[in-house]
Order: sequence, then structure tokens, then C-alpha cells
Amino acid sequence: MLRVSDLVLGYDEEPVVDGVDLEVPGGKFVSLVGPSGSGKSSILRAITGLLTPRAGRVELNGDQESSGFLFQDDALLPWRTARENVALGLRIRKASKSSALSEADAWLNRLGLEGFGGRFPHELSGGQRKRVAIAQVLVLKPKLLLMDEPFASLDAIVRTRLTQELLTWVEEEHLSVLLVTHDLEEALTVSDTVYLLSQGPRARIRNAYAVSIPRPRDVLATRRHPSFAPLLEQLWKDMFAEVGPPQQAPLK
Amino acid sequence: MKLFLKKLWVRRSLSLLFLALVWEWLSRRGTIDPFYAPPPSEVLRVIVSLFSEGRILTHLEATFTAAVAGLVIGLALGIVFGFAAALIPLVAELLEPVMMLLNAIPRVILAPLFVIWLGIELPSKIALAVVLVAVLIFFAVYNGIKDVNQLLVDRVRTLGGGRMVLLREVYIPSVTAWVLGSLKVAVGFAFTGACVGEFVAATRGLGYLLQFAQSTYNAALTLGLIFLIMAFVMLLFAGAESVERRLLRWRYRGSNAKAG
Repeated sequence: MLRVSDLVLGYDEEPVVDGVDLEVPGGKFVSLVGPSGSGKSSILRAITGLLTPRAGRVELNGDQESSGFLFQDDALLPWRTARENVALGLRIRKASKSSALSEADAWLNRLGLEGFGGRFPHELSGGQRKRVAIAQVLVLKPKLLLMDEPFASLDAIVRTRLTQELLTWVEEEHLSVLLVTHDLEEALTVSDTVYLLSQGPRARIRNAYAVSIPRPRDVLATRRHPSFAPLLEQLWKDMFAEVGPPQQAPLK
Repeated sequence: MKLFLKKLWVRRSLSLLFLALVWEWLSRRGTIDPFYAPPPSEVLRVIVSLFSEGRILTHLEATFTAAVAGLVIGLALGIVFGFAAALIPLVAELLEPVMMLLNAIPRVILAPLFVIWLGIELPSKIALAVVLVAVLIFFAVYNGIKDVNQLLVDRVRTLGGGRMVLLREVYIPSVTAWVLGSLKVAVGFAFTGACVGEFVAATRGLGYLLQFAQSTYNAALTLGLIFLIMAFVMLLFAGAESVERRLLRWRYRGSNAKAG
């Protein structure tokens, strides 16, 4: 579905990302984790075309339209209502206004936002805005979902609920996903493969971890699976090898 | 009564009324010289006579025409040049130094030059109002586009939007908020341009009448005209605010209960 080969990013002499290879097979959930500043988000921006790589290749099975990008911030147009925001992508793809809006309403209902379509983003809570942002992407029926820490700004309860809902949707629709996250537990809970980036600059893929926990998954039950804890421990060990172990002495 | 007093406009009106009453009392008992500061009742009598005799109408028409024409042309030029400079680097190179220079100086000093170039009739007043408004709006648009939320641009681009979609969905609405935020100041600037232009050289207009009142030491007429200009500017402010609220309803609409 998606193959990134020998990707180099950055404008200075020392690139942020230097020679990254990763693959998202059709219908698989892949996560990319790594230390802060290792270039995780930049890799995602290069895949979406928002950033021009210095070298390397991004191959998408299908055109750019078959992928949907979910940002860390909900990035909704503040002057458009929830339903107009959801309909925006369809309108860009030349759908008639009435069909785009009725499709948007259907998606908002599906995501539990019935009756909220006429509200502007500032009239919605953080969780509701995030649902609108998800609807804005899913309404375009993407085959590949690219997500940059989409739920990082939400509280734990809303975050867990939304992660479960999105995971169920991805599994039912057999979507391919590339998730960028700093949360190692979240990555292992939802993914089939987790890639760990090394410390930047000149970050590369340090290791890939196969997560063979059966699907469909429950975000809470998955963490109790026997293979989960050893994988998480290994991932933390490798992460600490990159950034150094946590300090024992109290901070002064 | 308490509810009535809670309203902002009621409290403001009462405060102004109180000041007027104090002024009237001090002026009548001779504490302040009525030659320099005639009582509000005298100022009001002059304003009423200006309207009842119909003398004011030709002056009002002249000032309003200059201010409104200056406002409209200034808005149009400011928006067009602001967009062009923000989107085309060559235009920015050409325009930015001129606009910065015009922004740095008190632009009313151009009034005598416009009189020399365009004569003492309406065009020179319109030109001054245009320069005052256009520079203000130029920077509102220019900065509005430069400060556009990059996340929204990226969002629309990842949804497949090109240059025209970005302009329609992101840049124009974003800039509209900036321009409308400056609209009330622009209304004030347009009136300033018209009045100062008439003050320098004119045959009619509120500024011309103000110049006449000052040269004849007629404090009642001077104050009456000042209050009249204030009233009209406030009226236009209210109009500008209503336009702002209508076009920026997404910003002003009260938030309902937010659920989790």
C-alpha cells in the first residue's frame, strides 16, 4: 500500500532523517515511534506531499486521493460549521453541495454527533472537534490513513474511547494505517508492526517489531495479552538505548 | 431598575448626561467662561438651528460624500494591493517600502499636496481619505495573509485543495476577519481625511464650517460641529459593527453547552 525507500529529509548539511525505509502493507496497521525531534512527523508530511524530500522515494499504491491525513490538531476551518467542514473534501472533489452535506450528516451521525452539524468548531468540545476531524477524513473513504498523534491533546477517557472506535473502524474496513506516536503502549496496542526511529539528526529506522496479537482488538484487553509486556519492555530498552536511561537522582 | 442599570448603554448615557449637567451648571454660574465653553443647552440650540435653517445640509453632503467615497475606494485599493503584495513577491518588493513610509508619517500632511494637485473641491478630500484608509487596510490584509494559520492551509491541501480552494476557504475568510477588525478604525480615518481636507482648503463641508467657526471665535458652533461629527462617526461605527457581526457570525455566535 505504501513504501518509503531511502528517505532523506532536511535542508541543512546534516539531514533530520537519513535513509529511512518503511512499508505499510495493505490492510495493516503500522506505527512509527521514536525520540522527540527524530523526524517522525516530517516523514508523515513527506508522504502526504506537504514536505519535499531531499532524496528517496515515496510509493503509494493508488493516488494521493486514496489517503487521508489526520493531524495532531483538529485543524477545522473556524468559519465553517461541523457539517461544512466534513463536506469540504467532497466539495473539493466536485460533489454537489447537497450530496456532500447529506453525506457529511450521515458521517457525523455515525460518529455520535447527531444534531451537532450546525455548530461552529468553537462551539464543540475537544473530543467532538476530533470526531469532526475524523469524519472529515473518513467521508472521503481513504484506503490509507496517515495519523500524526491524532489524540495527543485529549484526556485519557476520550482518548481511549476514540482510539477504540477508530481501531474498530480500521479493522472492519481493512484500512491501511501509518500512525506516528510518542506513546509506545498505544503503538503496540493498535499495530501489526511498530518501527522505532533512532535519535536524530540523521535518524534511521533502528528496529521493526511485529505485534502478533489477534484481531479484532480491544484497546484495554490487548494490554493484558501475554506477548504485550515483553514487547513493551524490549521497545523501552531500545528507546532508552537511543535517548539514555531515566535519571535516578531527583531533579534539582 | 437594577436590571436597567446593568445595561452598558444605560450607564454610559447616564454618565454623559451627568457630565453635561455639571458643565451646564458651571457655565451658568460663571465658573467657566461661556465665551470659551458655552453651556450644552447653547450648543444644542446652535445644532438645532443649523438643521432647522437647512444650512448644514450642503456641508453634511460634502463631508459624507468625501468620507464614504474615500472609505470605499480606500478599502478596495487596500484589499487588492494587500492581496497582491502577500501573494506576489515582486509586488511586495515594490509596494512594501512605499506603504511603510506612508504608514510611518502622519498622512494628513499630504492634504496641502492634494489641494495643489486636485484643487479645493471634493477630489482632494476623497484622495486624503483614500490614502488614510488604504494604508491601514493594506497592512491588515498583508499581515492577515502572512499570519494565516498554516495548519488550515495544510488541512485543505491534504484534502486535495489547490490555489483557488485555498484562497476561497482559508485566505479570504481569514483576511475578512482582519479587515473587519480594522473597519471601525477605517471609518474614523475616512472622516478624518474628509474633515482635515476641508479644513485646509474648501468651499463647503463640516471641516470648512469648523474652520469658519474657529476663525470667528464661535465656540458654540465649533463645539456643535465637533459633537455632530462625533455622532455621525458613532453612527457609522454602529453600521461597521453590525457588518462585522453579520460576516463574522462564526466568531460571535454564543457557545452552547459543550458535551464531552
